[in-house]
Amino acid sequence: MNASAWSMLLEGAWVTLWISGVSIAIGVVAGLLLALVRLARIPIIDQILVLYISLARATPLVTLTLFIFLSAPNFGIQLDRNLAGILALTINTTAFNAEIWRSAFGNFSREQREAAMSMGMTPWVTFRRIMFPQLMITSLPGLVNEMSFLIKGSPAIAVIGIVDLTRVTNRISAVTYEPLPPILVACALYMAIIGCLVWLQRIAEHRANRLAE
Amino acid sequence: MSNWEILWLERDQFIAGFISTLEIFGLSISAAFVIGCGMLYILEGARPRLEVPLRIFVDSMRMLPFLILVYLLYYGLPSFGIRLNAWWAGVGALAVYHGCYFAEIFRGVRQTFPPGQVEAARAYGFNTGKMFLRLILPQIIMRSRPLIGNQLIYALKDTAFLVIITVRELTAAANSLSGTYFIPTEAFIVVIGCYWLVSMIMEIIIKQCGRFSAKRGFDNV
Amino acid sequence: MSETTAVSIRNLSKSFDGVEVLRDVDLVVKKGDVVTILGSSGSGKSTLLRCVNWLEQPDRGTITIAGQRIGVNDAGKPMSMRELAKVRARTGMVFQSFNLWPHLNVLHNVTEAPIHVLGKARSEAEAHAHELLEKVGMSHKTAAYPNTLSGGQKQRVAIARALAMRPEVMLFDEPTSALDPELVGEVLAVIKALSAEGYTMVIVTHEMTFARAVSDQVVFLDKGRIIESADPETFFTRPSTERVQKFLERNEG
Repeated sequence: MNASAWSMLLEGAWVTLWISGVSIAIGVVAGLLLALVRLARIPIIDQILVLYISLARATPLVTLTLFIFLSAPNFGIQLDRNLAGILALTINTTAFNAEIWRSAFGNFSREQREAAMSMGMTPWVTFRRIMFPQLMITSLPGLVNEMSFLIKGSPAIAVIGIVDLTRVTNRISAVTYEPLPPILVACALYMAIIGCLVWLQRIAEHRANRLAE
Repeated sequence: MSNWEILWLERDQFIAGFISTLEIFGLSISAAFVIGCGMLYILEGARPRLEVPLRIFVDSMRMLPFLILVYLLYYGLPSFGIRLNAWWAGVGALAVYHGCYFAEIFRGVRQTFPPGQVEAARAYGFNTGKMFLRLILPQIIMRSRPLIGNQLIYALKDTAFLVIITVRELTAAANSLSGTYFIPTEAFIVVIGCYWLVSMIMEIIIKQCGRFSAKRGFDNV
Repeated sequence: MSETTAVSIRNLSKSFDGVEVLRDVDLVVKKGDVVTILGSSGSGKSTLLRCVNWLEQPDRGTITIAGQRIGVNDAGKPMSMRELAKVRARTGMVFQSFNLWPHLNVLHNVTEAPIHVLGKARSEAEAHAHELLEKVGMSHKTAAYPNTLSGGQKQRVAIARALAMRPEVMLFDEPTSALDPELVGEVLAVIKALSAEGYTMVIVTHEMTFARAVSDQVVFLDKGRIIESADPETFFTRPSTERVQKFLERNEG
């Protein structure tokens, strides 16, 4: 492999990282909002969200990406490839994150909330100062785990022609006629990225366990 | 003619794709299950020299995207003179990849077992292989049910990646139809519905197994 | 309503799923008094205490804390969460299971509400917290997190946390019931010291000797009714009802 192959691989890794990163950032926040809406148990909206979560969990990312990219023009929307990819990854990860947040809310200690109320905290202050900091800690291992899954699913965006870390190996071997080396390097890069997340998850689990003691 | 009517006329393409997806899924997940059980057997200490390399292999697989493994088998293996067609490369990748996840699930469940059980079986003169098959494996499988259910859904979703190496499965059917007739919205809604349906059916089956297992007392050993 | 009344409870009734746990309870706690509530388990003691700061909503009756009605606002409507929070801030509650916030260290457990409810400056809240932690004998643990403390230490921090709001009344819900026997003493000693300082307190407890030593008034609850209310001397030596006599015999020593 020559220098240009290496730089292409790094560019591919960068595409994977930034598109995944944006989707993760939106997905974590959107998941939190959906979890809050679901906690309010608003009729109809709640059923719609249940259906969305169920569908998003069962739909393959490749299929979702194609669906969004190909049918957007039917609704008069011209979607840029990257935007379609981000949208697909975000729709997928938000559903999983919503469930992670929701279960953390459901398991939050009633006693601690009562302690906050008895000290004169309003529901908003209780949420902001007592619940949320702890929910961050208890949800984080699940959220980081979901980030790993998102990176592992991210090659799906290659199907609409985004040149990510997986697809770039095709580009390189089209020139070098040696597909194996770039694929192996891509494997190593993926392992480095996901290895970091696994390491983060361990730390997050350690912190969560300490809080639960 | 409405878009839905076009879809109906072309239903054979969908059905063929759906059957293809189910074939790939059924075959590879069965193989993955067997591979997972085999790996667990080794990780249980049956072949001490293989244990560490296998651990490294399983952990590596869990750090890779499924599609890159498909690439490795489909584009990479020919470098060693092994040429698989797209279909077999896909099935092989699914089997190995999810086999590793199964092994990891089983190992996790296995660690929650009280150690006394194995000692008791040893004392009764069970040998390792028999003990594994008759005693350990059935319990592990029954207890890892919910996780297996999850993994089945992941495996089903991963079959869609194979469209990228040109396997003619369900997503490929929708893709080609939407290309021919410019009806992507309808085509993909049908296909997403199919995936959803299969996922729902699998979830229901797993839940039913749960009832059976609760009756047999597998859950509170 | 007299100037010297800290808590006044009138005709309080409360049911859970059709089972009446409190029936027409009347109780007046004077400023600076210590009232202990005794009774067997299930008599409604904890529910009564939890009604005082509206953690449980009574079905009927009124509760007034230092002249301020809780649960119903001046317009006669049910209080909003914000209004409720304001009245609750005037009571200090100590729970059986401590309920410290595990993500905050000892000092911040104590300063959290003064800063974020009363709007105190951090420096002022911390100075006050140090003073209170000194009082409960926990000033050496200000930086420790709750999960590193013993039950007795946690409860002493919880007491400091409640005191930090300068409440009109301190409510103790079986403060020693979740403690190992050897840790009960340190918590009771702190509560005793507070009573000597003139804090108004309502205490639900099973500790008879403690109740006798610390109380100005002892109240006995049976099946949701107050059947005996007296000064500790009278209560423990000449109870007027047979029910209390039996209870005292069973809990002797």
